[in-house]
Amino acid sequence: MKDKVSMQVTPTNNTLKLRLADFSNLSEALDYAAKGVTGCNFYRRGRLSFVLPYKKLREDSISIAQRLCGLGLERGSRVALVADTDPDFLRFFFACQYAGLIPVPMPAFVNMGGHEAYVSQLNRLISICGASVAIAPKVFSSFLAEAVKTLTLAFTGTPSDFLELSESKEDLKPLDGSEPAYIQYTSGSTRFPRGAVISQASVISNLIEIGTYGLEIEQADRSVSWLPFYHDMGLVGFVLGPVAFQRSVDYLSTYDFAVRPRQWLTIISENRATLSISPPFGYELSARCIKEDDVASLDLSSWRCAGIGAEMIRAEKMEEFARIFAPCGFKKTAFVACYGMAECSLAVSFSALNRGLELDCIDADELSLENRAVPCDSAQKAGDCNIKTFIKCGKPLPQYEVEVRDSTGSVLPERHCGTLFLKSPSIMLGYFGDPETTAEILSPDGWLNTGDLAYLTPDGNIVITGRQKDIIIIKGRNIWPQDLEYLAQLQPEVRSGGVAAFSVPGPDGGEMAAMMVECRQPEKEKRHKIKERLKKMVFEEFGIDCVICLVSRNVLPRTTSGKLSRSEAQKRFLDRVGTTYLTKTDVDLYKQAI
Amino acid sequence: MGVKPNYQDILNKLYEIVTPFIDEDIDLELNENTELGPDLGLDSLKVMKLLLIVEDSFDVSIPLNILPDVRTIKDFAKQLEVLLQEEL
Repeated sequence: MKDKVSMQVTPTNNTLKLRLADFSNLSEALDYAAKGVTGCNFYRRGRLSFVLPYKKLREDSISIAQRLCGLGLERGSRVALVADTDPDFLRFFFACQYAGLIPVPMPAFVNMGGHEAYVSQLNRLISICGASVAIAPKVFSSFLAEAVKTLTLAFTGTPSDFLELSESKEDLKPLDGSEPAYIQYTSGSTRFPRGAVISQASVISNLIEIGTYGLEIEQADRSVSWLPFYHDMGLVGFVLGPVAFQRSVDYLSTYDFAVRPRQWLTIISENRATLSISPPFGYELSARCIKEDDVASLDLSSWRCAGIGAEMIRAEKMEEFARIFAPCGFKKTAFVACYGMAECSLAVSFSALNRGLELDCIDADELSLENRAVPCDSAQKAGDCNIKTFIKCGKPLPQYEVEVRDSTGSVLPERHCGTLFLKSPSIMLGYFGDPETTAEILSPDGWLNTGDLAYLTPDGNIVITGRQKDIIIIKGRNIWPQDLEYLAQLQPEVRSGGVAAFSVPGPDGGEMAAMMVECRQPEKEKRHKIKERLKKMVFEEFGIDCVICLVSRNVLPRTTSGKLSRSEAQKRFLDRVGTTYLTKTDVDLYKQAI
Repeated sequence: MGVKPNYQDILNKLYEIVTPFIDEDIDLELNENTELGPDLGLDSLKVMKLLLIVEDSFDVSIPLNILPDVRTIKDFAKQLEVLLQEEL
């Protein structure tokens, strides 16, 4: 490892005939990729730190697989992997494939001051999937050791601890067909996590469609990614995709990107990469942090697909990115809107390549009053209506059946807004160990309720207008209101059921979390203390700022069945407070009727 | 090269670095026990910005795994003291 001078990234062009994931399982995909010269490259603080050709990845994975077999675990046992952006994650992930065990990626991101929160999160995730083995890189090993204290596992430790085990001579029987390929915890609630079980057949079917129709992968393609390996887009899009298409990929860690965003574009420029996908905030952050000299030194002309996914896209922000980087050869036609979710392996739709973002302008009043998306783009008509602009997310990949349904379950015609339902071979088997939650969203005949609100355009595009669930999305991360509410309910002053968390417009134009909390505390000083305490807990668990607004007992809006209505609470908060919370640190609505 | 900075030096420099991050309308006198997250209202991206400046000013690489145990300015200074000693 000392000899860094001679280190070279794996080449973009491969010696192998391009195959777009037409394999029967993931281990077979790696077997084929290992015959070529491509592989993955890891960057750290702007420099190439490790090169792992697929040939070497396969050898390493098989050797680890032999050791996993030596543990004598039942086929299909779970292996929890703290998924830092490092070569060991890939080695162990594929080792599980060869050994007939199911890898379960675990988050490898910690917030400042978030020690306890992270340890208990790991503990929950490992318990829920009933893992027999848990592996964490050295930097995370002390947290893992704490997390498994109360659990009994066959093995826990770092990759180097694991390599001390001896290899078994058993024949490897890789996972195949309807067997699971991995369990993906959804970016859902951290307090009540759900692990989507994705079969080999499902992920392979999704990869075939992504490669063939979504991205139209070619020999000259090369990817760059800073997306976490424990997210569907990072894992399926940028770990499994490159292997299944035999393409080289360059990684930098999410943490590294967040501290020095420029590196992302520098690597694309240096390695003439063609594919990279990010949530909108990645583009916004890059545009904000760039200096004039940097623009001059970058060449982004090779970037043919700049995918945008994971949260609502604001066209103006993307326009701004394109404008700033146009002098580097960035083409705004490279933007591709992507829609997908962990429950579908990854991708549902991509907007057409080489077209850039396509907008659909509709009458905002018709949408909010009638749930209809009536086009409103002609100039003369524009004066008569409030325009709302949405991004077209493209046509669904060919194997998907798509329906937009109203609240009674009837299928709606195009340009009518309702809940989006999907059916496809890429859809998960279910949530691990949770048949009830699975049954809530996945019908026996295979239709998945996405929980997203959408309409279809006459040209077959999916347009997402909102979320049915009350998820709060901050900087590409989903925050579940029940997780914030849970924290508030841990306070002795707060009754269970007396909290509503929701999103409000933040100062940067994105979303911000807010919480209305019922509590009986007439003293202003003490109320202030409670707020401070809550803000701190939210920060430690999620690393976000949250507006806390205390209100008196029994004032939060409830539905007729007595359930708290987050959307109504949000509406009243915005009506009462407007956006003054952006400038004030203390919003006090106590003793006010809301 | 170097004389390694002592705890007090590190602390003073941290005060200097952190000051511009304080919201104008927060009335706050920095001290060792000031909490970086909740007291200063730093969200995760601001934390990253702060880390970048700290890394550059101390010429040190801050590993991700120390963050969970950094709550206050004091915690941060102590961790930096250890990191800087390791580097020498």
